[in-house]
Amino acid sequence: MSVETEPIMEIRGAWKVFGHVVALRDVNTKIYAGKILAIVGDNGAGKSTLVKALSGINRLDEGTVYFQGKVVSKIDPKFFRKLGISTVFQDLALVETLDVASNMYLDAPITKWHFFANRALMYQAAAKTLQELKVRLPSVRVAIGELSGGQRQSVAIARAVLRDNPIILLDEPTAALGVRETGEVGVILNTLKSRGKGLVLISHDLEFVFKHADIIQVMRLGAVQGIRKVSETNREEIVALITGLKSQESDDSSRKEHN
Amino acid sequence: MSQFKGGDAFEGNQEANSFTSQHSVNGGTQVALPNIKLSWQKKFRSSLSLPVIVVIILFTLIGESQNSNFLNGPTWLNILTTASFTSIVACFEGFVLISGGLDLSVGAVFLTGAMVSAELAVKGFPLIVAILGALLAGAFVGAINGGLANYVGISPIIATLGTLFCTTAIVSTLSKGLAIGPLPDSFNRLAGGTWGPIPSVIFYAVGIALIAHVILRYSTFGMKIRAVGGNRLAVDALGLNAKRISMVVYIMTGLAAAFAGVLQCSYLGAGAPSYGSDLALQVIAAVVIGGVSVLGAVGEVSGMVIGCILLSLLSIGLLLLHFAGSMQDFVVGFVMVIAVSIDKIRRTFMFRVSRNDIKRAKSS
Repeated sequence: MSVETEPIMEIRGAWKVFGHVVALRDVNTKIYAGKILAIVGDNGAGKSTLVKALSGINRLDEGTVYFQGKVVSKIDPKFFRKLGISTVFQDLALVETLDVASNMYLDAPITKWHFFANRALMYQAAAKTLQELKVRLPSVRVAIGELSGGQRQSVAIARAVLRDNPIILLDEPTAALGVRETGEVGVILNTLKSRGKGLVLISHDLEFVFKHADIIQVMRLGAVQGIRKVSETNREEIVALITGLKSQESDDSSRKEHN
Repeated sequence: MSQFKGGDAFEGNQEANSFTSQHSVNGGTQVALPNIKLSWQKKFRSSLSLPVIVVIILFTLIGESQNSNFLNGPTWLNILTTASFTSIVACFEGFVLISGGLDLSVGAVFLTGAMVSAELAVKGFPLIVAILGALLAGAFVGAINGGLANYVGISPIIATLGTLFCTTAIVSTLSKGLAIGPLPDSFNRLAGGTWGPIPSVIFYAVGIALIAHVILRYSTFGMKIRAVGGNRLAVDALGLNAKRISMVVYIMTGLAAAFAGVLQCSYLGAGAPSYGSDLALQVIAAVVIGGVSVLGAVGEVSGMVIGCILLSLLSIGLLLLHFAGSMQDFVVGFVMVIAVSIDKIRRTFMFRVSRNDIKRAKSS
């Protein structure tokens, strides 16, 4: 697979073992600017472990994380976020009782004199970001508890966008959503892609993946089963890779594992 | 002045108005973020302390019809003075509840603060040393509470019940169950006197309540306290360290309880081992009555203070109405259960949309 540009982020030779389970088996992943990389696979394929490695939550047993060509040595979610990698968690990590703006700025509130929360600025900036993403919300002042699932998902994505980080990881962004809400998330993803963000999309929803992703990386039992461009593959092939009916063949990544 | 649920969630709306107009001009997108106009019903339903104020007024009026001492100045100064000691502790006990914890040891810390400062003052140490000694002891117990509840990970009820017993036992052993006094004049002047006609304790309480209010409402730390109580996992996922935030809250509570103990000691002129014996439950009752949710995240300092005033009014008012002392505990317990029930119902309906909201949505 030939790709013209250099990846913004890359994981090479990742191994992660939990007791008897090999969660990652010599996994390589490349994330490019302006492209949506979908990571698909069955339960236990190692998708979540890979995302946790990419977001700095899990330290790899072996392997290296590169960001913009440099090795990342400090494994810490806060550091990763500062570096330029935002994560939208599957459970969204929103506080229902706080309002939209407070949630969006919870990890790094805008302050006044280092002590006070600068609410006015946070409301303003949160509203601006949400509007740019074309999110439908009654107000940035409503509590998250009053919002629908799709709106919550949008707020969680907007929070990741707020920092203007070049990489955004989305863990199952459409898992709990209906058709219309899934469409809304799709619109947001397209907006982000057009802004040149590198997106990683973990999803079970193959229809959504084929609609929005550029590259599909199939995981199976902790190993990379294959990497395909969406334009050069079809649903049958991906399903075959996921289920293991079609084993990995000559691919630029993951070659030396299980015989 | 009314509080809205969640504190942060439903504030005024003038600013939001200006944002939307500004953005519809600049942004040019179709997406509007209009301000939220709350119907007065919703405001009333979500207001935490308004019902308590109503109860206070009603009780005072009913009491006044039975006993003309109800509405006079000295009675109310008395009520407010009693409320001052509880409210200094209650403000920070409220923080603990909002952050999703519970501190039963505040009464013991109150006693510790009183006895440590009295002992130091009697031994001839200067006032400031006596106060700092008490605060240090309070912070120490608070740190143990916070450490047990967060880093050891045991239930805060058990953790703080344990420190309650241990601390009380240590203090009564060291003091041999005897009161410490008489205290030096400098110590008695701290909170013993009046400023004008008003006991100085009330000023301390107002000052501390203002500090607590500013922290909870306007600081980023207040935002984090609410977040920890609202969704601890989310706070951790964002890398904010919920344990440390909760730990700080427990230490603040220890400091406040010890300081209130010092003030009590100075106010009464001696340190006695009976101080703070039923303070913890009173304080918890007061903050819950004031609208702090036992389920975390919800509450306002003004509500906590008003809850303290109601409890103090009840205890003094029932005396004026010649109720037996033992019946006062019944009333406190009764009111607390009612308050928790209201809290539970309010949580259920917290995010439910009202009929007016639907009407507004249809018209827009």
